[in-house]
Amino acid sequence: MDEVVDARGLSCPLPVVKTREALQRGLTRLEVLVDNATARDNVSRFASSQGCRVEVSEEGGTFRLRLEKAGPGAAGTATAFQAAEAAPSPSSHGTAVLISSDIMGRGDEELGRILLKAFLNTLAENDPLPWRVVLFNRGVLLAVGGADSVPALSNLAGLGVEVLVCGTCLDFFGVKDKVAVGTVSNMYEILNTMLMASNSITI
Amino acid sequence: MGPGDLRKVLHLLPPGEVREEILVGLDTPDDAAVFRLDGERALIHTLDFFTPIVDDPYLFGQIAAANALSDIFAMGGNPVSAMNIVCFPCSLGMDILAEILRGGMEKVREAGAVLLGGHTVDDDEPKYGLAVTGLIHPDRVMTCLGARDGDSLVLTKPLGTGILATALKGDFISEEDMAEAIRGMAALNREASRAALEAGAHACTDVTGFGFLGHLLNMLPEEGLGCVVHASSLPLYPLTREMASMGMIPAGAYRNRDFVEEWVEWSPEVEDTDRMILLDPQTSGGLLVALSPQGLQVFSGLLKEGREWSRVGEFVSSPRRSIMVEP
Repeated sequence: MDEVVDARGLSCPLPVVKTREALQRGLTRLEVLVDNATARDNVSRFASSQGCRVEVSEEGGTFRLRLEKAGPGAAGTATAFQAAEAAPSPSSHGTAVLISSDIMGRGDEELGRILLKAFLNTLAENDPLPWRVVLFNRGVLLAVGGADSVPALSNLAGLGVEVLVCGTCLDFFGVKDKVAVGTVSNMYEILNTMLMASNSITI
Repeated sequence: MGPGDLRKVLHLLPPGEVREEILVGLDTPDDAAVFRLDGERALIHTLDFFTPIVDDPYLFGQIAAANALSDIFAMGGNPVSAMNIVCFPCSLGMDILAEILRGGMEKVREAGAVLLGGHTVDDDEPKYGLAVTGLIHPDRVMTCLGARDGDSLVLTKPLGTGILATALKGDFISEEDMAEAIRGMAALNREASRAALEAGAHACTDVTGFGFLGHLLNMLPEEGLGCVVHASSLPLYPLTREMASMGMIPAGAYRNRDFVEEWVEWSPEVEDTDRMILLDPQTSGGLLVALSPQGLQVFSGLLKEGREWSRVGEFVSSPRRSIMVEP
């Protein structure tokens, strides 16, 4: 018997919040009951964004949403559910490259800088390209105007790779107004990048 | 209340009084009313209040005031005086109410108006806003109708406040994450209003509860004019798209969709998430301005494109009232 989240009588965003809580507890199959179309659509949207298949049925003013998280363990039973008509599952996201430093490896700093630049240049030539490059801690200094690595990061961004730069880190180093490439981001998005990436590389 | 419900209620009322002093009244969809005093001066009346959209009481006060003042700016007027409207549970603490009022008062002063008083009601859920009076020359009133074939449509603030406020309520983001949207909501539409006046805008309105498309629809007469919208050119506050795709969409956006659907033709390439963003109810949104090609030139000389405004569509002659949304 799948767990049931009863979100009837609740208005947005609570049905989505309760669904998220259930998924965060590690459930891979659950049913969500809602009693309005807004909640039905929003929970479906949220479930799809989390890589769940969604099947909706209605009886007597109650919408029953059956969610199943697609994953290695769930592949066999996934066919029991119709595919959601919404966005493709986030499991199609590619590699996230997480860069927490402005040098590559431990040892000589000058060498570390040269290596990191070479790494970014090589990354742009690789097929497939990564999904996102996330810069945090001293890594954000790579995206600041004047840094050696800005051309390489701009090149990646031009090829469609999303470059996320940690806003808290930029504030910490006092360089928020000097970002030359990428999108200023936050821990929420960074965490979700880590969770949703098919795999990740940490530098 | 959604636009559909509001229209139903208004239909139950007898038609508004017809007097030649009423330049803008019940019979147009503008958010403010204009009453002519003499050949040189007309009064603009408007009021707006709502429940807290952010937790910080001072910022809430600023946003509520900027939102109420916006209706005056959308018409091209100057706010003169304002009165507070307050619903507040006494149990919440008077220092919080004082912060809300301080935020509102400072914003009113920034707009060049004075706060004269107000009224408070004990209520379970706090609500705050203002009734604002402005002055305008009777011949220089900008209204939502008047756009012409070939005009450009510009928008002066990003979209996404309803979605972000929902995400904040659901704890998906923090108030820090929506700092840019909070700054945007607290910003006055004064400079945009002045630029629109100077550029000889054909029509102007502000984007609030009916969303971008709902207010754009108000700019289209019953027939003869349509508008092509370029969805990708619409400026968005950070995280708006992410939160929309995660279901942080307020019920108002769905109501707005039901209301405008009849007149909107979606290109199949416009994703569902982006559609909902165009329908997201805004708090203290930017101005939507219809500008001739010459007007656009003047406007772009006064305000910085990209930072202060974006060109998001163009008006076209169309037998049917319609909005065509392209990618």
